[in-house]
Amino acid sequence: MGKKEQYDMYAVEMEREEDGGMDVKIKKKSKGSKKQEKLESMKKEMDINDHEITIEELEQKYNTNVTKGMKATFAAEILIRDGPNELKPPKGTPEYVKFARQLAGGLQCLMWVAAVICLIAFGIECAQGDLTSADNLYLAITLIAVVVVTGCFGYYQEFKSTNIIASFKNLVPQQATVLRDGEKFQINANQLVVGDLVEIKGGDRVPADIRIITSQGCKVDNSSLTGESEPQTRSPEYTHESPLETRNIAFFSTMCLEGTATGVIINTGDRTIIGRIASLASGVGNEKTPIAIEIEHFVDIIAGLAIFFGATFFVVAMVIGYPFLRAMVFFMAIVVAYVPEGLLATVTVCLSLTAKRLARKNCVVKNLEAVETLGSTSVICSDKTGTLTQNRMTVSHLWFDNQIHSADTTEDQSGQSFDQTSDTWRALSKVTSLCNRACFKSGQDGVPIPKRIVIGDASETALLKFSELTVGNVMEYRDRFKKATELPFNSTNKFQLSIHELQDPLDLRYLLVMKGAPERILERCSTIMIKGQELPLDEQWKEAFQTAYMDLGGLGERVLGFCHLYLNEKEYPRGFSFDTEEMNFPTSGLCFAGLISMIDPPRATVPDAVMKCRTAGIRVIMVTGDHPITAKAIAASVGIISEGSETVEDIAARLRIPVEQVNKRDARACVINGGQLKDMTSEELVEALKLHPEMVFARTSPQQKLIIVESCQKLGAIVAVTGDGVNDSPALKKADIGVAMGIAGSDAAKNAADMILLDDNFASIVTGVEQGRLIFDNLKKSIAYTLTKNIPELAPYLIYITASVPLPLGCITILFIELCTDIFPSVSLAYERAESDIMHLKPRNPRRDRLVNEALAVYSYFQVGIIQSFAGFVDYFTVMAQEGWFPAYVLGLRSHWENQHLQDLEDSYGQQWTFSQRLYQQYNCYTVFFISIEVCQIADVLIRKTRRLSVFQQGFFRNKVLVIAIVFQLCLGNFLCYCPGMPNVFNFMPIRFQWWLVPVPFGILIFVYDEIRKLGVRRNPGSWYDKELYY
Amino acid sequence: MATFNEKKTCSQRMENFGRFLWNPDTSEFMGRTFAKWVYISLYYAAFYVIMIGIFALSIYSLMKTMNPFVPDYQDELKSPGVTMRPDPYGDEVIELFYNKAENSTYLPLVTSLCDFLSVYNKTVQEKMNANCSDNTRMSCANPKENSKSCQFTTDMLGNCSWEHDHTFGYKSGTPCLFIKMNRIINFVPGNKTVPLVNCSAEHGDLGDVHYYPGNDTYGTIGFQYFPYCGKKMQPNYTNPLVAVKLLNPPLNKELSVVCKVSGHGITSDNPHDPYEGKVSFKLKIEDKPGSSSAN
Repeated sequence: MGKKEQYDMYAVEMEREEDGGMDVKIKKKSKGSKKQEKLESMKKEMDINDHEITIEELEQKYNTNVTKGMKATFAAEILIRDGPNELKPPKGTPEYVKFARQLAGGLQCLMWVAAVICLIAFGIECAQGDLTSADNLYLAITLIAVVVVTGCFGYYQEFKSTNIIASFKNLVPQQATVLRDGEKFQINANQLVVGDLVEIKGGDRVPADIRIITSQGCKVDNSSLTGESEPQTRSPEYTHESPLETRNIAFFSTMCLEGTATGVIINTGDRTIIGRIASLASGVGNEKTPIAIEIEHFVDIIAGLAIFFGATFFVVAMVIGYPFLRAMVFFMAIVVAYVPEGLLATVTVCLSLTAKRLARKNCVVKNLEAVETLGSTSVICSDKTGTLTQNRMTVSHLWFDNQIHSADTTEDQSGQSFDQTSDTWRALSKVTSLCNRACFKSGQDGVPIPKRIVIGDASETALLKFSELTVGNVMEYRDRFKKATELPFNSTNKFQLSIHELQDPLDLRYLLVMKGAPERILERCSTIMIKGQELPLDEQWKEAFQTAYMDLGGLGERVLGFCHLYLNEKEYPRGFSFDTEEMNFPTSGLCFAGLISMIDPPRATVPDAVMKCRTAGIRVIMVTGDHPITAKAIAASVGIISEGSETVEDIAARLRIPVEQVNKRDARACVINGGQLKDMTSEELVEALKLHPEMVFARTSPQQKLIIVESCQKLGAIVAVTGDGVNDSPALKKADIGVAMGIAGSDAAKNAADMILLDDNFASIVTGVEQGRLIFDNLKKSIAYTLTKNIPELAPYLIYITASVPLPLGCITILFIELCTDIFPSVSLAYERAESDIMHLKPRNPRRDRLVNEALAVYSYFQVGIIQSFAGFVDYFTVMAQEGWFPAYVLGLRSHWENQHLQDLEDSYGQQWTFSQRLYQQYNCYTVFFISIEVCQIADVLIRKTRRLSVFQQGFFRNKVLVIAIVFQLCLGNFLCYCPGMPNVFNFMPIRFQWWLVPVPFGILIFVYDEIRKLGVRRNPGSWYDKELYY
Repeated sequence: MATFNEKKTCSQRMENFGRFLWNPDTSEFMGRTFAKWVYISLYYAAFYVIMIGIFALSIYSLMKTMNPFVPDYQDELKSPGVTMRPDPYGDEVIELFYNKAENSTYLPLVTSLCDFLSVYNKTVQEKMNANCSDNTRMSCANPKENSKSCQFTTDMLGNCSWEHDHTFGYKSGTPCLFIKMNRIINFVPGNKTVPLVNCSAEHGDLGDVHYYPGNDTYGTIGFQYFPYCGKKMQPNYTNPLVAVKLLNPPLNKELSVVCKVSGHGITSDNPHDPYEGKVSFKLKIEDKPGSSSAN
């Protein structure tokens, strides 16, 4: 990751914070002039002045009218000019480049080289007039086919996973209300153009960047853009020179929470602020995933060894006196024998199997390799809202009758409720039901109450749902108490009141109900209701109120006070005209009913999931834009701050000493807010991350999120980031694995992420971690299995060159092993169960715990591989001897054997063989060597089921796929051997049955030897034996 | 992954490598202490000794099971191959090209034939092999070492013997070819008729041909030479020959000639083996002095 890109990501942030300095910095840092130009143009576009100019100027600029809207014909013209109003999907790599990349990996390059050598050899042979052996041509074609087919396969996999993402877009075409030629239209939001006059109301998504013209109590949720969780007021006034701060601009894709507004569109599609952040974030290069690094590491080793072996034997062959061309062919053959051609396909299949499994559990993986990344994750930086919490305010506590009652906050209302018999409760519930402007959207009768859509702000929604759950049909209840007047909440009064007629037609009093900030409500009260009795509000009760208020506030909850007053029927008879401007009714001396506190409660599955992460050695760090107190309370309730952990402040409070005197090492937990973070150097942050295992970051800006992720990475951690907002997208990109929320997530976040949680549930991450760890272990097994056979494939060539025996194993046969018979068993290892409880282990250390480590390679190559080679050679010599060629005679026979002009070569018994007869005998050897490798590989796949446990403990037949794979492998082997026509097509001979049995003892030897190894490893953990032989 | 992909400088790499070679903190040489190296070396030494032992044992027991007289299987030797002498190979096939006016073009052929036929010398044959009449049949049923086989002597080759013509007819443009069938243990070519040898040109006319032993139309291979019982039982077995004398081959013309052996159990139509039951060659005899010294 270069410096340049980092600045890309900061660009928008900086725009806001240091408007002036930005230009200079970009110029200084970006080296590529093209990039600079792009940024320059970006910068130019950022200079929005539409919020500063007057409405008349605006009308002129965009050729529109703030009352009638644009002319429809002109709008159509602009639509053609600017294109539709939608975010263009990030410009991906061109398809042909993606495909070419699949064909140009390390191993693929090596195979291209081998193919070219084959073609050259074939060409030279042709030029010399030797037309009989087209073997080299076939081999070249096969090799190219292998590269292309595996390339196509990889490309297809990639293509498929990109498609999943594409399907998220345009699920529902967004509608917008637009005024054109003075008439209102409902059109698809992507048809909007600059200058259009649009109307927005509560519940709408802002369809483009708009300059507000008129507004009635319009509030928008800018959290996805700026991270501010509080609703922001939008009004026609110009309040700030920065377009992001000023009130008269509403941004594309933000949510209008309440009120209505009209505005003129000033930017559409990718030219909107959101569009620019999204396109900037997508310009950030993707980091390599840990598994990609592992595979690259291992491919480098393989390629290096292949070239080393090839070159060595090329030199040896030259020294022995082979002609140059033959030596080149040897080189090629060794490369073909040594390179595990099927491995990349195997890895891809294994990963995509896991990806499928995850998709079933609501994790969609965009990048296949991300499957494993989650398994290596050691730090999860989790967003709070929506991921850890339910993302809906819910009533959690009530205080009445001088007692704190807990409400049921579970998602499915399965929790305990409180005692509802008190008269005070009846009064309180009346106030909460009546003093509430929120209402359910119609037509939701079948929907469970917590899931119903409500029009209104978060706390009113919470109260409405709470009343609906406890009291019953609120809408009808409200109808019974006819509303006379109301005063909505505003920030100066900090209360909301309404006046209602009573239900009883004989009772002509009015009821005044009020809710608001508790201290303001208390000020206006003179009595308090306790057990249905109105008692004077004396100091004792005030103290009780304070204690309760502090307690609830300390839980990070939003507290509201409720009070009511029955108005005197004489002073305020029926039909009295209440005036909210004049306040011609009492607003003091009321009767205090109680407190209700609300919180966005954690999801039910989260504490368990956090616990699982802890046992799995994964640190969960909360990074949120919310208040420190709320953040801390939620962190404590989900277990991010575990029980008994204290922050420095907690210790200071407990010991009654100043914060500075506390030994920081004693504090396990730490809550840092954005302001503190701003003053910290990156070293201090790293230090803090090291010092406190339990961290909560509150009030953070998107830029700070990025810094936190970087600091964790500096500590060597593999970091997963969850997020949903546009502002999270740079951090999602920066993370080793970005996890976006499927429901709440913005498109930009989804685009930047590697994985999408369809159910927005943190617990799904834990499943991902488990699957990721499992696939890492299983890939290890698959690779060990695949690597082993390279030695028995290579050994025949080495013996062929050095001992001059007739060739025991041909290149085509090798390719059949690599790409045909052994693929299914190696894939089947991906279905293997975990050997131990992988969720109780620490995450792997990416520096130390490699996918392919020395022990794995050495054990596979120099022990199991060697046994397999011996099996092959024993079978080879058996076939040769039984057909008339004794081992001692075979050594050094190669030049006669391969002499095409020698039609009467004598064997050990004096019989004479033509060249073709010898060739078929050679094919016999190929086939038995093939069979030997297959039989040993069956033993190999059985031993690879486990790395430490005995296979008997793991269960032989537990993995059904593996059993099927073995049967399939045997059938395929039989088919290749006994299908008519094979000898002349693929050089397989219908060999005698007993030659299948020769390698069986070696297979048993492999199995027994590995069981002994596992026993030793289990018995002596930590010994040198364990270190050398446990992979 | 910034932490992993930090570009290391060359000196850092060298330092890391140096530390890998010899780590003074843990006294590790290439990642292992001296004791560990000894352990692992001994382990591998033991492993390989055992594996080689198992391999040697396998080969030893394999050889123990082998029948010294007859191979276990003859899967690829269903039908004997046929060869001819002389066999000067071109790129692909035998090309019997020579200029009868220039002895340097055929003398190497004659010399090779002399060598080839030396074993069929009457004195040699009489010393090592038995004289069998036509109806003598060998049997491999009771193997015993160094049994005698039937004689085949050069006087059976009639006009194609060295004694008759020192250049085997090459000088006069009537060359002799010697057709020989490959040995296969226990192979008996039918019961009623002896294997017959016949040569013909694929296109064009080969002219008159005489076979020894045999007549003008085909040569014969006597029954008494079958079956062959293996090197151990018949170390001095010599393949019976059929000499083919081309009496008036066309001059200065390239001909493709096929010599087929027909008989029970001998196939000559295997598309994958051009030498099974037949041998083909190209023939071209020139008589212009100095025209093609290269051949």
